[in-house]
Amino acid sequence: MKPAAFEYQRVTTVAEAVKLLRDAPDAKVIAGGQSLVPLMNFRLTRPSLLVDVNGIKALQHVVWDGTYLRIGSLVRHQQIADHAEIQKHFPVLAVAARHIGHWAIRNRGTIGGSLAHADPASEWPAATVALQAEIDVEGPQGIRTVPASEFFQGYYSTVLQPDELVVAVRIPYPKFRLGFAEIARRLGDFALAGAFVEDDGGQGFVTWFGIADKPVRVHTVLPDNMEARREAWQQALGTLAIADDSKSRRHLAVQMAERAWQHSRLEGGKYLSEEAAGGDPL
Amino acid sequence: MTEQAMRPQFMGARVKRVEDPRLLTGQARYLDDIDLPGMLEIAFVRSPYPSARITGMELNAVKSAAGVRAVLTFEDCPILLWQRDSYQVGQPVLAHNEVRYVGEPVVAVVAEDRYQAEDAAELAVVHYEPLQPVLDMVQAIEELPRRVHSHASNVFYHKEYTTQGFSDAFAQAPRHLAATFRTTRQTAVTLEPRGTAAMPDPASGRMTVYASTQSPHRIRGDLAELLGWPENQVRVIVPEVGGGFGMKANTYPEDVVVVWAARHLGKPVKWVSDRTESLLTDVHARDDIHEVEVAYQDDGRIIAIRDHLMADGGAYPAYPFSGAVGETSLASRVLTGPYQIPYIETVIDCTYSNKTPLGAYRGVWGPIASFVQEGIVDRVARSLSLDPAEVRRINMIRPDQFPFRNAAGMIYDAGSYGESMEEALRLINYKDFRVRQSALRAQGRYRGIGISVFVEPTAMASSEAGSVGYESVFIRVEPTGKVTAAMGLGPTGQGHETTMAQLIADQVGVNLEDVVILHGDTDSAPFGGGTGGSRSGPIGGGAALVAGREMRQRLVKLAAHLLEAAEEDIELGHGQAWVAGVPDRAMTIRQLAEIAYTHVKRIPPGMPIGLELVARYQPEQSVSFSNGTHIAEVEVDPLTGLVQVVNYVVVNDCGRLINPLIVEGQIHGGVAQGIGSAFLESLRYGDDGQLMTTSLSDYLLPEATDVPRITIEHLVTPSAGEGGIKGMGEGSLIGAPAALVGAVSDALAPFHVMVDRLPVTPDDVIEWVTARV
Ligand SMILES: Cc1cc2nc3c(=O)[nH]c(=O)nc-3n(C[C@H](O)[C@H](O)[C@H](O)COP(=O)(O)OP(=O)(O)OC[C@H]3O[C@@H](n4cnc5c(N)ncnc54)[C@H](O)[C@@H]3O)c2cc1C
Repeated sequence: MKPAAFEYQRVTTVAEAVKLLRDAPDAKVIAGGQSLVPLMNFRLTRPSLLVDVNGIKALQHVVWDGTYLRIGSLVRHQQIADHAEIQKHFPVLAVAARHIGHWAIRNRGTIGGSLAHADPASEWPAATVALQAEIDVEGPQGIRTVPASEFFQGYYSTVLQPDELVVAVRIPYPKFRLGFAEIARRLGDFALAGAFVEDDGGQGFVTWFGIADKPVRVHTVLPDNMEARREAWQQALGTLAIADDSKSRRHLAVQMAERAWQHSRLEGGKYLSEEAAGGDPL
Repeated sequence: MTEQAMRPQFMGARVKRVEDPRLLTGQARYLDDIDLPGMLEIAFVRSPYPSARITGMELNAVKSAAGVRAVLTFEDCPILLWQRDSYQVGQPVLAHNEVRYVGEPVVAVVAEDRYQAEDAAELAVVHYEPLQPVLDMVQAIEELPRRVHSHASNVFYHKEYTTQGFSDAFAQAPRHLAATFRTTRQTAVTLEPRGTAAMPDPASGRMTVYASTQSPHRIRGDLAELLGWPENQVRVIVPEVGGGFGMKANTYPEDVVVVWAARHLGKPVKWVSDRTESLLTDVHARDDIHEVEVAYQDDGRIIAIRDHLMADGGAYPAYPFSGAVGETSLASRVLTGPYQIPYIETVIDCTYSNKTPLGAYRGVWGPIASFVQEGIVDRVARSLSLDPAEVRRINMIRPDQFPFRNAAGMIYDAGSYGESMEEALRLINYKDFRVRQSALRAQGRYRGIGISVFVEPTAMASSEAGSVGYESVFIRVEPTGKVTAAMGLGPTGQGHETTMAQLIADQVGVNLEDVVILHGDTDSAPFGGGTGGSRSGPIGGGAALVAGREMRQRLVKLAAHLLEAAEEDIELGHGQAWVAGVPDRAMTIRQLAEIAYTHVKRIPPGMPIGLELVARYQPEQSVSFSNGTHIAEVEVDPLTGLVQVVNYVVVNDCGRLINPLIVEGQIHGGVAQGIGSAFLESLRYGDDGQLMTTSLSDYLLPEATDVPRITIEHLVTPSAGEGGIKGMGEGSLIGAPAALVGAVSDALAPFHVMVDRLPVTPDDVIEWVTARV
């Protein structure tokens, strides 16, 4: 379990990184390394050059301007969980962040790495789709902005070109508060199923993760009656191509949508502690 | 000996482990820390097929790759494990013409470092012609779809046993039930993986083998025999070992290849398993099926059990201990557990398959048999609508029945079976629980309690670690009065350096910090049987007591002579010897030792010079049973299928305790592993024979947050052996899975669930719950 040989370069600007990526076709960005390094150790990926972007200061900021939340791609999962303004204005992100791996992984892993990696069981890809975020991408031709709904293409696959870098995520302030729920076998595992739910009053949207090959924001009615809601979740689920389709996977998807919906209705500290919505899986 | 001498100061005390400072500060030296000048490393090319004929190999590119020193195949190293031919099947240390499981070593690449070895190994081209794999043990018994070894039956071990009078008793009982119990492949997953290094010494011609093993002398004997060398040409040194759990009791193909390569290249060579290799090739365990029929009475009394025990032993019997045989043969003898069930009939079939060989994992047969035995009791209780605790009471062996001969002829020495259960029921507040349970059910919450009363045969004549029924201790009081003792045990984290020092310090009359315990070096340790089968405490500890006592007698004799007192009047303690009642007439043990080694004219006539001796201890009984009760309270979420362990109590009886702190640590670890067995761990093979769980993101282990606080109480029923000590290394993992899944059955009783498998997964629970609403 040793990686194949590779070169390594550390950069301090996006331009430098893009240039290296353009010139060395098998180069890969390394951010937190929490997905890339295991893949390299298994020799499932063998980059010729690692471009270490951890020294790029410009990618490390969280800015809230009253309309948009802008998160630099190098911001760590734990920083998002702990960020006071995110907790206040986008509490669903703080709640979701705590479900990513363990503390040590959250301290290194980055939101940009998670989006670029595009694991369908990951929290961030679904969060950006659910919140209708835009992803800023920089390459040799400059910066382009991709709506999250168009960024993810399937399993571990995005529209990102090999010489492009995710630089930031821009998230508009949501009109309605979202709820979140996730189930994993053990604390910190990737989700068996998870959901973000937005209730706009009688109708809304559900975005699952761990269910299909990529996150999709599905419109649904949201009746008050629980049985009717269960029907609605099932219908919404019917629009997706479910991976490893099984009775229990569908069952969990419905349960998580329902728990996320209940979570969206909790107030204040309860919302952040998620107690009534099932809490951390144990 | 005087009254004072009998009162131990350290045995039974909560002494902190002397090992912990080095372990907790990262100062311990494990196998991979061994880095000798010029040391080469091996990477193995392993079989990607469960079964295939090897039709050719192209290895030139490997041989000419950077840093490569040698490329070995079976032609170079034609050694078969099981040359002794017990099973008509010998595993080649590198595949010979055919591969029989995914991960089987085929080519060994020896290079200057592991990176180069892995780079070169990738260049190997091996041509395979795939064969249909044998994957299902029930079919394998019928030799279907084919034989794993063309010249040998798939059934490599078959045994039948019937208690006299079984048929009539079974037929005449008023009630019968049948059930099939299935356990799933697991493996030990030690924190430190397997590894071996070997260093030839050109000057002496001897080979030093560094091995991460539980059985230093056994692996020395195995290597010497397999390689055809005299035993005294091999020295085995066991560095710090980060866990063994039975898995490191075997001698593996890689061990032999490493030593062979070191000899033929004249260089130190090392191989350390990575985690994927571990999951593929460390011995697997627990791949068993029990098809059970039970005869019982209306009052819950169980009369007879019939059991067809099957185990999938994998491609070869693991060398030199087949886990399949160990798991089934012992399970069949202790299947009735702590209950006085008079009749059993067992049929055992162990089969070959195209999977990794089955070996030992902590508890071996025990977690399986307890799961079956407690599952039977719970089924009887459910079918009669009786309280499961009450049905256990009715069947329990009573204290006046010891020594008790069970239906399979095993003799149980005294234990506290009923008492341990009553105490555990009290600790978990069983009476109130039923009230709480129904109140919670009304709210749609599903809590359950599982009771597991276990027996644990310990200190047996043979175990996975070897077939040596005794243990030896070499002890020396140094000229300065400090004590050094050496033993042939193979601790892998159990704290022998602490417990054995406690026993010896008491006997010799010195302080704990004055005793150093050496182990794991066949040049310094007397011959020993290693660590496994819960033998180190009762047999190794017994030997420590005997050796300590003999040394004490020598010191007393010497002191009596020098202090001009009667031997009966000499007392020893805190590094001193004195005349009882006259503390002024005293000498330090240091002074005595100095005389024993240097002023030897002052030694009494007939006493040997120096203070060194070897003592051996073999218990008179061939086995001593520990016992106890585990009770788990769980909450099952019927919506997610997740199980949370909310409360856990253990009442444990392992005879006289050497160190309660260490006993409790052993119990905590065993319960944690039990949670893994009950809910998480499973090595899954696909229909194509590929192992699908080759990393720890697929093979799930319990995490700290999965393990609840555990309440522990001790009962003490001493053994008849030295010190009254019984073993306790496995009981906690024997008891735990049965308690945990029994609790799931209890919680989901409204859905008519009776768990029949290990582990229980969220998918299972969802299936059971949604099928019945
Ligand atoms: C035990 C464990 C548990 C985990 N559990 C979870 C979990 O529950 N949920 C979850 O979502 N994740 C989980 N992860 C993954 C973790 O969140 C990773 O941190 C994340 O997926 C990748 O982020 P990274 O910064 O570590 O990226 P890296 O590993 O450095 O890179 C991942 C990929 O993204 C590319 N990349 C990185 N940054 C950029 C960039 N700015 N622009 C373009 N490409 C880039 C890399 O080239 C690489 O291909 C877990 C990881 C581990 C080890």
